[in-house]
Amino acid sequence: MLGHVLIRLLQALVVMLVMSALVFIGVYAIGNPIDVLIGPDVSQDIRLDTIARYGLDQPLWRQYLTFLGRILHGDFGRSFVFGMPVLELILSRLPATLELTLAAVCGAALIGIPAGIYAGYRPDGLAAKAIMTISILGFSVPTFWIGLVLIIAFAVELQWLPAGGRGETVAILSVEWSFLTLNGVSHLLLPAANLAFFKLALMTRLARAGTREAMLSDTVKFARAAGLSEWTVLRRHVLRLIAIPLVTVFGLEFASTLAFAVVTETIFSWPGIGKLIIDSITSLDRPVMVAYLMLVSFVFIMINFLVDLAYVGLDPRLRRAGSR
Amino acid sequence: MSQASLAKEISPIARFWAEFRESKVAVAALVVVVLMLGVAIFAPLVAPQNPYDLANLVLTDARRPPGYVGFGGYTHILGTDAQGRDLFSAILYGLRISLQMGLIAGSLAFIVGVTLGIGAAYLGGRREAFIMRVIDLQLAFPAILLALVLSALLGQGKTQLIAALAAAQYAYFARTAHGAASAERGKDYVEAVLSTPLPGWRVVLKHIFPNCLPPLIVVATVQVANAIALEATLSFLGVGLPVTEPSLGMLISNGFQYMLSGRYWISIYPGIALILLIVAINLVGDRIRDQVNPRLKR
Amino acid sequence: MTDAPLLEVTDLATHFETRAGVVKAVDGVSFSLARGEVMGLVGESGSGKSITGFSIIGLIDPPGRIVSGSVRLEGRELVGLPAAELRAIRGKAISMVFQDPMMTLNPMLTIGAQIGLSLEAHEKVSGAEKRRRAIAALAQVRIPEPDSKIDFYPHQFSGGMRQRVAIAIALLHRPKLIICDEPTTALDVSIQAEILAEMKELVAELGTALIWISHDLATVASIADHVCVMRHGKLVETGPVLQVLTRPQHSYTQALLDALPSRAKPGTLLARGAGTDAAPPPRLARRPEPARAGAGAHHVVVEHVGKRFQHKAGVLRLLVQKAGLARPLPLVQAVDDVSLSLARGEALGLVGESGSGKSTLGRMVAGIYAPDSGQVRLDGEPVMSAGERPHKTTTRIQTIFQDPFASLNPRMRIGDGIAEGPLAHGLVTRAEAPAYVAQWLAAVGLDPTFAGRYPHQFSGGQRQRVAIARALAMQPDVVVCDEPVASLDVSIQAQIINLLIRLRQELGLTLLFISHDLSVVRHLCDRVAIMHRGRIVESGLAGAVYDNPKDAYTKRLLAAVPVLPVAT
Repeated sequence: MLGHVLIRLLQALVVMLVMSALVFIGVYAIGNPIDVLIGPDVSQDIRLDTIARYGLDQPLWRQYLTFLGRILHGDFGRSFVFGMPVLELILSRLPATLELTLAAVCGAALIGIPAGIYAGYRPDGLAAKAIMTISILGFSVPTFWIGLVLIIAFAVELQWLPAGGRGETVAILSVEWSFLTLNGVSHLLLPAANLAFFKLALMTRLARAGTREAMLSDTVKFARAAGLSEWTVLRRHVLRLIAIPLVTVFGLEFASTLAFAVVTETIFSWPGIGKLIIDSITSLDRPVMVAYLMLVSFVFIMINFLVDLAYVGLDPRLRRAGSR
Repeated sequence: MSQASLAKEISPIARFWAEFRESKVAVAALVVVVLMLGVAIFAPLVAPQNPYDLANLVLTDARRPPGYVGFGGYTHILGTDAQGRDLFSAILYGLRISLQMGLIAGSLAFIVGVTLGIGAAYLGGRREAFIMRVIDLQLAFPAILLALVLSALLGQGKTQLIAALAAAQYAYFARTAHGAASAERGKDYVEAVLSTPLPGWRVVLKHIFPNCLPPLIVVATVQVANAIALEATLSFLGVGLPVTEPSLGMLISNGFQYMLSGRYWISIYPGIALILLIVAINLVGDRIRDQVNPRLKR
Repeated sequence: MTDAPLLEVTDLATHFETRAGVVKAVDGVSFSLARGEVMGLVGESGSGKSITGFSIIGLIDPPGRIVSGSVRLEGRELVGLPAAELRAIRGKAISMVFQDPMMTLNPMLTIGAQIGLSLEAHEKVSGAEKRRRAIAALAQVRIPEPDSKIDFYPHQFSGGMRQRVAIAIALLHRPKLIICDEPTTALDVSIQAEILAEMKELVAELGTALIWISHDLATVASIADHVCVMRHGKLVETGPVLQVLTRPQHSYTQALLDALPSRAKPGTLLARGAGTDAAPPPRLARRPEPARAGAGAHHVVVEHVGKRFQHKAGVLRLLVQKAGLARPLPLVQAVDDVSLSLARGEALGLVGESGSGKSTLGRMVAGIYAPDSGQVRLDGEPVMSAGERPHKTTTRIQTIFQDPFASLNPRMRIGDGIAEGPLAHGLVTRAEAPAYVAQWLAAVGLDPTFAGRYPHQFSGGQRQRVAIARALAMQPDVVVCDEPVASLDVSIQAQIINLLIRLRQELGLTLLFISHDLSVVRHLCDRVAIMHRGRIVESGLAGAVYDNPKDAYTKRLLAAVPVLPVAT
């Protein structure tokens, strides 16, 4: 068990290193950063001085090591646009995105999994067909378009919910949260629904596919032959059999939702990191891009690691002293 | 199976089609896909106007609602956009660009991904482990982010966007191809031809690849749909195609600013066209997925 | 009321509405079963025997449906009973055991939890009582140390143990009837013998009636009092076991018995499935007969061959292992220092239970796997030595596999599949290929015009004929047969055995015949080698080994084979 965790941790570390190298090469080595740092009309002296100051005259690997060393100290540089330390900038925006993402993914799981299990349990029923049709829509319709429709319907026409912003927030440990005020929740509802739509479709389909297969399995047939009630079969057998893919998707989708928040935050003017990255991409604010990518990679790798540990908890076949 | 079923040759493709046909929804979706593909290819012939011919543009016709009879007695059935272009025609041309992007990027991702995936499965050993590690790493990263960053770094343009979309998607093909090829490689018929023995390229091309096709076709349909949606999203965010290539996503994006003022049609109709296309492709893919899933066969 | 039968099935009909039309899986079946009686239900695949079992307990999934007839348990009609009432009967009055114990138990729940669920289905029991009853249930089916085994998960049990757990669950509420659907088919013969003996004792002890569904006449003979023979959804013959199996009244029962190799003189054609197949094409000029290396010389030689399978460990894993923080991954020694030889034209049977390494050995002889140590040689030339690519010699050794559904490329016309190898190696030209393929199809008893068909258009037996044609079209000297008849029904099996006997004689083939079925090996092979845990424990002339086994494992194996009663 300990060995297993250790191997996974080491793997995560290696992956993180590889990611940092990729991000470094991707963002820093493409194009000439000096052109971004200074205007074209500065004198040659200042130009050389700047190059030396930022270490741009060093070989690439040395630049990378310097970059790595700074990151380890939590120094991601300063944003060209906002003029403040990037880490501070991102951390101030992160809670908004986390809140949105959590609301979306949990909402999607709470509705999608039961709906999917039902559709898989009675695949030929009318309700199942309705659920599947909706899920195909959710799967197909681009997130940004749903956002537009939600705004038109609920903000413009019905005027039930606000079209953008975070609304009133409450500070806990000097971090602002929306979900604690009624006004905040009303602001959260539309963007979360927008972000959840795709995840909802995905989880419904996954739960349905798993349930359908499980219902045809000998395990379920045998349980029925032993006289177990349908409810017990679903709750005790089917749910356990489909748990692993669901946990995997829950974890991975949480991470990818963090990235997808880019679209939703743009549409609903939600002041999270997604909005920040789009702005920094359009203004080529490289330090922000790097920090954002590193952060998302880190979250991804951590979630992968946790999902992997969850496997061991869920699947008894993997539990034997960590030997796989 | 009786001798009667041997009465005539039934190729696997014919059998597949006979099964596919049983779902009316899937057939309808296929018809929609083919129709949309048709009007996209022949857009210059089908469209009532060439929306990008400046001679047809009349600024006073801008932002007119559906059914408006414009300059020259022409009825704009879906209204006009901010530049006074006939929206219906613009949608047909936009469809053409969107489909083009989706198909080219999808094909490119297919070729690269399938070559890597099947190659890895056939080679085995350390090369397989290395290739698949890289693919897994990339899969853990959301496609939209990758496409976003790549298209930002590469700059705007058709070629750049195709490269970004393909780079964001090839890994799905590689993973699927690898899984299918590994399964096929372990099957008796492949061992039989390996023991004959037949040359390696022949085993891959004639035996492994054709049998990996069913799951790959499913991924291909989904990925073409995804590429189209992704392109639209990127164009909507302003990091996709240049303004000279007005895809459906661009049309939606252009109309977005007029939406809150009630001129919904400029954004909504291109959106409906986009959704119709993606839903139809996904419905076709869904049917094929159910058909090729051996575990649902009784 | 005491003479009333426990179960009375009358004119039962279960149909499936499929794409191809209505399949009458069960088509008017009637029988009755007395209390404590053991009935065998025998038939080939597709005869409807399993569907009959599932119809009795009302577990027919759509598109299947019981269309008519009645099933009465102690006079109570079960057909058409509301779902809740049926559920109250399932597991309580009638229970069922399935074929594959690997699939029936939930891998995510402990044995104790699964037994507990079945207990709760019909009784209100406290936690402690549940555990006590579960332990007792495991003890009843002879599972050692039941009080610790109860917390095990299914994957920690062997196949035989899992099947015992399934039986324990079926017996939990002391049902009046247990239906066992091929319960030992997925198990090795020695485990089968144990389960058969235990089951026999248990039902006698509890007074439970038993319906034993099987394709295997011999296992049925060793457990049942009565037997019903099914074919195409109908019962063709019923009666006491001894009578049906020694003096069958129906021609189909007779045919089933005649198809069994254990009842025929070794080496002779079996009564059923004798075909009038065409002669195989003559030896091709481009494939000359190799110079005979002296009569009686060793044709195929396997020298100290070994093969291990190991999970690949990455660099990180190795590092952590070095630091002593993780255990090394397990190593499986599949074949362990095996040596054997075949003379030209000889047939050697390689017998072993699952996991004995017999298939791995066969694949090394055929040049599919490279051995880790040792060498396989054909007429002195290496087939494939450690870590190498296959030699040219490999074309002279061809393989026939077990599963005819997996051994043909589903997307290739069978004619192309047969011609592929000979074309690639220049044995025939493109112009000659169609005629050559037609000759082979005729030789294996298929219509030569079938060359353009795809594998899915053929039945299992027909596909196996195609696979034989494909292997032999390479004009090999040696053929490795890996369980070629194991997945076929007994009548089809007889046809394929006859085909192999005939072709072997006409072509002078050397056979390495791998099988778990002792009677098939005895019938086809001159010599036999018994494999156990990667090693050959005994080998010799077939007659000598079967009649006078020396090794302890061989003795156990032979003793475990169920025998058919012989007419006196």
